[in-house]
Amino acid sequence: MTARNSVIWCGLIALSLCGSAALATPPAKLALQGGRIIPVVGDEIASGTILIENGKITAIGEKVDIPFDAMVVDVTGRVLFPGMVDAHSSRGLDVPNEQLPVTPFLDVFDALDPSKLYFEDALRDGITSIHVIVDNNCVIGGVSRVVHPIGLTPDEMTQDVQTSLKLSVAPKRRSDRMVQMATLRETFLELSDYLGDLAETKYEESLEDKDEKIDVGPEEARARGRKLIRSVDYDDKHANLVKLTGGQLGAFVYCETGGDVGRAIRLAKDNGFFDRMTFVLGAACYKAVEEIKATTRPVILGPELIHRERNELTGEIIETFVPKVFADARIKFSLLPHPDGSLGERYLNYQAARCVRNGVTRKKALASITINPAKALGMNDRIGSLQVGKIANIVVFSGDPLDFNSWVDQVYINGIRAYTRDTDVRLKRLFGEETSEVPSGDEKEKVDNEVSVKDSVDQKKPTVTTSEKAGTEKKVTDESKQGS
Amino acid sequence: MRMKMVGHRCCLQAISIVFIWSQVPSPYVYAGNGGAGDVVVYADRIHVGDGQTVVNGAVVIRDGVIVAVGTDITVPDDATVVRITDGYVTPGLIDANAAIEATDVMTAPMGRRTPRAVLHDFFCPRHVDKIAEGCCGSRCSRSLQHVTGHVCGECGFPNDAPSLAVGTRTWSTDVENSSEIIPHTRVLDAINLRSPDFGRLAKGGVTTVFAAPDSSAVIGSRGAILRTGGPMRERVVRAADAVKATMGTEPSWRGGRNRSPWRNHVSLLTRRPSTRMGVAWIFRKAFYDSRLHDQGKPFGGADAPPSASLLALHGILAGDIPLRIQARQQHDILTACRLTKEFGLSFILEEGTESYKCLEELKSQHVPVIFGPLYVDAPGARAYSTEVAGARLHTFQRLLADGVTTALTANELRDEDGLARQAMYARRMGVSFNDVLRSVTQTPAQLLRIGEEVGTLEVGKRGDLIVWDGRPFDADARPIVVMSGGIIIVDRRPS
Repeated sequence: MTARNSVIWCGLIALSLCGSAALATPPAKLALQGGRIIPVVGDEIASGTILIENGKITAIGEKVDIPFDAMVVDVTGRVLFPGMVDAHSSRGLDVPNEQLPVTPFLDVFDALDPSKLYFEDALRDGITSIHVIVDNNCVIGGVSRVVHPIGLTPDEMTQDVQTSLKLSVAPKRRSDRMVQMATLRETFLELSDYLGDLAETKYEESLEDKDEKIDVGPEEARARGRKLIRSVDYDDKHANLVKLTGGQLGAFVYCETGGDVGRAIRLAKDNGFFDRMTFVLGAACYKAVEEIKATTRPVILGPELIHRERNELTGEIIETFVPKVFADARIKFSLLPHPDGSLGERYLNYQAARCVRNGVTRKKALASITINPAKALGMNDRIGSLQVGKIANIVVFSGDPLDFNSWVDQVYINGIRAYTRDTDVRLKRLFGEETSEVPSGDEKEKVDNEVSVKDSVDQKKPTVTTSEKAGTEKKVTDESKQGS
Repeated sequence: MRMKMVGHRCCLQAISIVFIWSQVPSPYVYAGNGGAGDVVVYADRIHVGDGQTVVNGAVVIRDGVIVAVGTDITVPDDATVVRITDGYVTPGLIDANAAIEATDVMTAPMGRRTPRAVLHDFFCPRHVDKIAEGCCGSRCSRSLQHVTGHVCGECGFPNDAPSLAVGTRTWSTDVENSSEIIPHTRVLDAINLRSPDFGRLAKGGVTTVFAAPDSSAVIGSRGAILRTGGPMRERVVRAADAVKATMGTEPSWRGGRNRSPWRNHVSLLTRRPSTRMGVAWIFRKAFYDSRLHDQGKPFGGADAPPSASLLALHGILAGDIPLRIQARQQHDILTACRLTKEFGLSFILEEGTESYKCLEELKSQHVPVIFGPLYVDAPGARAYSTEVAGARLHTFQRLLADGVTTALTANELRDEDGLARQAMYARRMGVSFNDVLRSVTQTPAQLLRIGEEVGTLEVGKRGDLIVWDGRPFDADARPIVVMSGGIIIVDRRPS
């Protein structure tokens, strides 16, 4: 137990050291030079430079004038990719959700645990923005927030406060769909009753101040009182619901099956949050793809990308690769990493590669792990691509992001280097402490004994050929500063 | 070495292949051209499976057997032609330790879940996305919207802990419980050859499997070598193959029937052993008694091997029946080495999770390893095991680098974690393409002693091959066509 504790403490201390040091002293100007840039939005640059000033991208291109006082990192042979976005995760919470069904008054802030191993893994896997939200097992969950996986406290981690409420039209555990929908309707009915009562009370109070007696019917009193309500008058239980129906909060609505989609749309339209709704979809929802398309609302697909079902008459198993259905319907979707221990599906870039394998275009696959989830979070002006003006959340891959042999070499968050593979103690341990050798990832295999290898065959896939040392940071001293 | 690998039947061709390869790189043909009724597979690259590659060539299959591999092959009009743009061809994959789902239950990926997820599932009766069918048989009225994992989505009945082997589910009575020594039983008798599991294996490019016995007995059943597709009469390659023994904790906790003998009464319900010591003792006593029996001396006692098993035990001692031993932790691997040395047995190590810690012993005793699957968080029923904490990502790479003959297996994992994906994981962990390919084709074929027939794309071998739409084992490539004996068993070509 003590050993375990000490490990945790070491981890915390290490985290605090890197976190605080990183947060305290961001380099004012940083240039990532010589890498292949996949900006997701815009064209690829075979070899270019990204200039970061005060945590934001200020220049990007083949030729960039690097200020004399910028720190230069040589990333030749590496691939620069936007920090990936996990649009829906409850793994940063100590418990994924509350026992109570209706909990709009909760805030994930109170349960965010910065020492969760998940955040370390997210960083290691190149995920720089995580939308922490209660999981699908709820009726109305709490308010979510967007964090990056570094920082000692929830405050330090936070990228965006609030953002959305979680709702589910699929039944909460030990419930069923009728009860679920009845609870949702009841909640919003109760809200309107509450608002009516509150308005009436406010009107009465305003008359009492003037020593007048109530002179109108209840309908009129409510209408007059409604104008008197200030935001502080709402109690905790209703405040967030008022924001939701007023369009100040987003709604992440979970649907499990195709039938749930229609119910979700109706619920959103009836209660005024349709314009801020985001679908969180189970695999079976592909059956409602036309309905979803008509809404034009953002779509987040669950981590399970293949839907399997047995034809009860023939016994035949029908497999559907869900993202392909959405891509064919021209719906922009976001992917999620798989929370279970698979070596592959835990990586967002591998989830995207699976899409390519199943016929989704590379462009759409790359967008589904970067700009699409950023859009779903309403943060596409800040994150999700490598463009001038955006936050410098950058992943340095050892190769193409859709190649499973590529490793995340470095991660920059707000222009701060938050991760380097060379110093990843846990990864080294998994590769055997005694050797402490981590494959560099850029050793494209030499096909021994190969007969008449035509290079053109390999040109199909972008290859990276660099030496072992390439991509490690060039420590720039005052004498060797460039661009002066 | 090479002649040993290919076997006497094809050694002449093999030598000629090597000769041609070394002398005339390309174009070349090392056997005749195509004829009527042939199947011709064109590809940008043909990975023969032993490290050789043919660029822009073709494989010609006649009557299920490869008759030509090379470039410049003339093809008659009536030949069946398979040609994929940017296609790559490899031999059909061979899983030398596949746990076959015998009971036609699962339709969703099994065994990926971490203990925590499993616990969550146990209490959560409703999973999305994971649909299995008929998991609780007659107990549940709805069969479609079901759940894999460990509890039925509709009625809460714990349906399965993912099986580690044939027809076994850890909670159920599917495990053969009659004795700790059951090498006289055969897994083939428990396997439904029409199980959809074979279809799932084939879709992942696996054409031949060793259907592994489960790990609940110290000296377990005999596995079978099966094909995953093709005509029914050709599906069974070898009905009774290697015997599987198990070291470590599994014989004492698997099977659900291990209880301490009550008032010293040993019965079916009070199987032993309960410790590693007991496991080793039963293993040792079985072979010791078998020797006594050989010499016509009496033997007996509570843990004596059943008389039915003696024939098989003799076979193992005589070297006629191959022996495999599953051992995960270092001390279990060492125990396996020690015990086999004692009886002069050779064996194949299965799992070998911590084999990176005892490479010297494995090398000195020339123990081949069937390693896999690769994991950090152990999937499936392994998640319950205490033996998996030492898993490392570099184990497979170390085994190969140290010259240990190593095959890769996905065991019970399918689809996204199936054998092709295991190979992809291995590539990420630093193993070269050719080594990975060999470890899922040629090496397992040799370990199963079917290397003359399958494992590489050479003339005279069976036409088991995969056409990929990208570089094999890449994240964005998948098998488009899978052939078993020249017959297409998986076809994903756009119609």
